[in-house]
Amino acid sequence: MRVVIAEDAAVLREGLARLLSDRGHEVCAAVADAQGLREAVTEHVPDAVIADIRMPPTHTDEGLRAAVDIRRDFPATGVLLFSQYIETRYTARLLESGAGGVGYLLKDRVGNVAEFVSALERVAAGGTALDPEVVGQLLRRPDAGLASLTPRERDVLALMAEGRSNSGIAAGLTLSEGAVEKHIAGIFGKLALEPESADNRRVLAVLRYLRTAR
Amino acid sequence: MDGIWRVTATALRAPFTRQARADLAFCLLGALTGLIGFVVVAVVQLPALVISASGIGTLIGLALVVAGLLIGRRLGALHRWTLRKAAGELVTAPARFQPGSGLLGRLDRRLRDRDGWRAIGYAWVKLPLALAEGYAVVATAIGLAEITYPLIWVLFRNHPPGTKLGPLNAVFPVPSGHWTIATWPGTVSATLAGAASVVLGVWVARGLTRLDARVMLSLLGPSRVSQLERTRAIAVEDAVAALRRVERDLHDGAQVRLAAVALNLGMAQERATDNAQRELLDAAQAGVSGALADLRRIARGIHPPALDLGLADALASLAATSPIPVRVRVELAERPAAAIETMAYFCAAELLANAIKHSSANQIEILIDEERTGPLRVGVTDDGVGGADLARGTGLAGLAQRASTVDGKLDVSSPSGGPTTVTVELPMRVQAGGN
Repeated sequence: MRVVIAEDAAVLREGLARLLSDRGHEVCAAVADAQGLREAVTEHVPDAVIADIRMPPTHTDEGLRAAVDIRRDFPATGVLLFSQYIETRYTARLLESGAGGVGYLLKDRVGNVAEFVSALERVAAGGTALDPEVVGQLLRRPDAGLASLTPRERDVLALMAEGRSNSGIAAGLTLSEGAVEKHIAGIFGKLALEPESADNRRVLAVLRYLRTAR
Repeated sequence: MDGIWRVTATALRAPFTRQARADLAFCLLGALTGLIGFVVVAVVQLPALVISASGIGTLIGLALVVAGLLIGRRLGALHRWTLRKAAGELVTAPARFQPGSGLLGRLDRRLRDRDGWRAIGYAWVKLPLALAEGYAVVATAIGLAEITYPLIWVLFRNHPPGTKLGPLNAVFPVPSGHWTIATWPGTVSATLAGAASVVLGVWVARGLTRLDARVMLSLLGPSRVSQLERTRAIAVEDAVAALRRVERDLHDGAQVRLAAVALNLGMAQERATDNAQRELLDAAQAGVSGALADLRRIARGIHPPALDLGLADALASLAATSPIPVRVRVELAERPAAAIETMAYFCAAELLANAIKHSSANQIEILIDEERTGPLRVGVTDDGVGGADLARGTGLAGLAQRASTVDGKLDVSSPSGGPTTVTVELPMRVQAGGN
């Protein structure tokens, strides 16, 4: 994987670069602000970007805005936002243009190197990686369809929102893949999602959470 | 004896000092501006009173009053300028006038322009002061002229003996201080009186300048109330800015360090070879996660990140975590001041938490809008059981108290059986109430 890192704290920027190189990924550029990120992406067109949300100069949401632009201009580049906070509103904005190729994780999650790298790989491959916290916040949201889900179906949907595949969900919940498929069908039914392509419905189901947050 | 001499010497030296020239310059200008200012204010104000009192033409009267207030402020600036330029004494200007919005709002704010009214008060007080200042200048001028009488006599009265001449007039600027001089030795009396007159004029000018400066300070300077309003606004804004700084320091400092520790621990965990090591590293990792979660909670209590995007986004994020459905509407034409935005957010957050905890409601609505005349309203309504009381419990009273630090207020409508609406009104700017 070819990766660009944008993070204003040098210690984390270097730590991430080392972590990824150790795992055999190529870090094309490690920059400290959103402007540098845009330039590096234009130059390298990486497979994935790891971007802090809050960076100079305004220290508000420049990473998020850069992420949205990068997703629009470089569809082949996945963007993983990496932040101290999970803000539901940020999640919604990130996912407004589609749920593929994006991720949003708390910085703490680098503690689990294997999971962090696999989340980044998922994003690079066009999948989703949402922090369990995002999902946790959204599951507190009331929604008639969502409210009728069984606890098991909620667990499945939570992992789906994190961007896991069926086998990933099965492994996470120690279920058989068949059981996972059954739960997913139940979720689609309760959320009244028309059968189109399975992938599309997955995205719609996840977006259903996120839309209620707007 | 020594003391008397010293006082006398000081008194007599006074006319030759720079201070004397400054005082006289101020008195001359002060007399002119004071008289003109008084006439202008009186011309505008007296008809205003008459017209308004007559009941007809109240509108014209109001317009004249407003004009008077405007002129009063302008004149105040002129008087302060005169004092500074001539006498070198500085009176700080009161805070700038903050216009209201809407026709009535503007009029209301204008009529309650405390500093404008004080300036008009000064224009009236200045009348006797201006007359006295004029007196000091005239006394000095007469004195200077009279000192030269012996010389004038020699130059212009040097006629052959026997020529009939009218006597010279001499005055000392006090009532019935007038006499005539018919002989040259008599001119000495004029010289002495002139010198005394100059000393008198200079000292009166000195006293008047000081008095006028004090009057200006109390009527044309910032009023105590507006000064307090200003410093309170600074204190409120400072407090918010300081908290914001703490949050930023946490974000750029401790939180980054801990995230880096998590990263390094993660890499160490990957390389750990035996179970004992792995267990210790797991425990360390769990500790770091807990610390980061704590810091996040603290930081969110100081300044929620989504507030950077505005109240609508911040409240949407807040509502997303509520177990009771929340509808958020934010209808603001412009963003309020940062300190007010933060206050409005935390008011809404606390009211929402109250509603969730006590109301057993099915639906909560947060509405933030702006009244036509200015204040920002934070309204939280729930369809729950009602019975919220400002007097009971400390939550609402505490909120009311916090709102009052910016002249905001809190209103509760909560009949038993619901619905409950709590409204907090805050100014759009911290100092909007000041003028």
